[in-house]
Amino acid sequence: MPRFVLMRLLQMIPVMLGVSFVVFISVYLVPGDVARTVLGQQASDTAVQALREELGLNRPLLVQYGIWLWDLLHFDLGFSISQRVSVSTLLGEKILNSLILMGFSLFLVITLSFTLSVYSATHFRKIGDRLAIFGTLVMASAPTFWLGILLLYVFSIKFPFFPTSGMHNFYNPGGFWEVVHHATLPAIATAASSIAIVTRVTRSAMIDVITKTYMTALRSRGIRRRRLNYVHMVRNALPSFVNISGLQVGYLFGSAIFSEIIFNWPGIGLQLYDAILQRDVPMIQGCSLVIALMFVISNFLSDYIVRSLDAIKR
Amino acid sequence: MQSNAEVIGAKPQALKSRSSLYFIWRGILADRYALVGSLILSLVALAALLAPWIAPFDPTVSFPRLRLQGIGTPDHLLGLDHQGRDMLSRLIWGARTTLFAGITPVFLSALCAIPLGLIAAWNEKFGSVIMRVMDVLFAFPMVLLAIMLAAFMGPGMVNMIIALTIVLLPYNTRVVYVAAQQERNSSYIEAAIASATPTPKILFVEMLPNVVAASIVYSTTIVGNIIITAAGLSFLGLGVQAPTAEWGIITSDGRQYLFNAAHISLLPGIAIMVVVVAFNLLGDTLRDALDPRTRLSLARNKSVPKSDTGDN
Repeated sequence: MPRFVLMRLLQMIPVMLGVSFVVFISVYLVPGDVARTVLGQQASDTAVQALREELGLNRPLLVQYGIWLWDLLHFDLGFSISQRVSVSTLLGEKILNSLILMGFSLFLVITLSFTLSVYSATHFRKIGDRLAIFGTLVMASAPTFWLGILLLYVFSIKFPFFPTSGMHNFYNPGGFWEVVHHATLPAIATAASSIAIVTRVTRSAMIDVITKTYMTALRSRGIRRRRLNYVHMVRNALPSFVNISGLQVGYLFGSAIFSEIIFNWPGIGLQLYDAILQRDVPMIQGCSLVIALMFVISNFLSDYIVRSLDAIKR
Repeated sequence: MQSNAEVIGAKPQALKSRSSLYFIWRGILADRYALVGSLILSLVALAALLAPWIAPFDPTVSFPRLRLQGIGTPDHLLGLDHQGRDMLSRLIWGARTTLFAGITPVFLSALCAIPLGLIAAWNEKFGSVIMRVMDVLFAFPMVLLAIMLAAFMGPGMVNMIIALTIVLLPYNTRVVYVAAQQERNSSYIEAAIASATPTPKILFVEMLPNVVAASIVYSTTIVGNIIITAAGLSFLGLGVQAPTAEWGIITSDGRQYLFNAAHISLLPGIAIMVVVVAFNLLGDTLRDALDPRTRLSLARNKSVPKSDTGDN
């Protein structure tokens, strides 16, 4: 196991380098001159030149990348053009907020889809199962940005159970439950389509297990149905459940961007949106890089968990 | 039942001449979910194509007096938006842009991925380089990469389509690559090599039809997702630009009027959801119809072709 971890950690290095290079090189997609685009058409030539110098646009490409990477390793992502603050300071405080939302969403995905799929599989082809299948089909097809608005409309405006935006009560901030209260709607919006997909895949896996011959053998030995369902079926379907949950993390990162925007959650997604509106190139780079790196790390973690579950099985 | 042996013996030969379209048709007829899905999609596609004739009003003309009126306003079945434009007309016109913006990238990426994946599977050195590059793109969440590329390229429908094509490329290429690698070891390719068939002919005449099916199957399962992503990019202001009617933009427009005119935001989302549900219903069947392992059962049983275990 330690060897596996070390190998995976070493494999992560080229991937992270590649990710950083893609983020770096994407700036060249900006049509025309980056500095000119940022400053606007009426900016003076000297100002444009100064910004070009500041962004290092006058040097050869690989040198630029080297300098950028070196700065990155020192947590220096440059200065936000619109806010004149260091990007990394600004992002540092948002990372935790995003992780809170992500963690809550992942918690919802794991608990809800597991419960739902066990229910669905044990009630195979009964009315509850059919309802669950239909419900998950619809849920998997709802765009996050729309679902967020729907939840906001129903549960914050029509029936004001939950706050419409933000992360804390402005007048009296603090407390775990307050954050949970604020995070509930955005987390549901983020998690919904993943819950649906994980439920459907896990349900199929569980039904697959039920139809296996060893389950018939166990049943014929007189093992109780409850034990069959909650021990044997669940345990054998667990790897595919963990696997698909791990694969969904990428979708969660994507959906979280929309949830943060709709519910004004002060995370990296909202920051990215602000940066896009203001054409703040270093900030867009910083946000994208942070989200992508979090994704790489979470992939590593889910690989690790899948792997350790396999070890238990062996 | 006595004809069973006969059927098994005789059918496969007859099947060889059947085109993929036959299996798709057969699969859709046999599965009522797929039937519902294709019915919905045909209706939406028809509405999109006939938008200039069936939309009651011009989607950009406003009736200022009636702005923000809700569902059921006389003459305006689905109400009016914040500028007093007819919602039904905007939704019908929006179907055009939304579907176009969602489906085009899937086509384009398949078009690029098929030669790329074929050559990558044929030439190992080239293949390993290409797949390493793709690995890096896999390290981004799909939506994030699309947002980042579109943000740097600047807003606009063409840029959004390019961004989504790039985002889809690694996924599609991997599908083609894996399929082509399996084909590479099969005996008909060996025979082609032995008879000194030129490589381009092996790749693009012999192998292509078998690889295209894999790509189409993948495309049908992903197209709903891409429609959502494209609408999402427009929602963020990165895709299609207002005043053009597009479902993502209409949703975004309505955000400020949730308190008194929630229908502006909620209706286009329902439209997206219905279309994506239809695509997902159809996708499952197309996957079965184009998969050589399951298509035999489709031809044999006119009734439900699916195995007992799976809706998924």
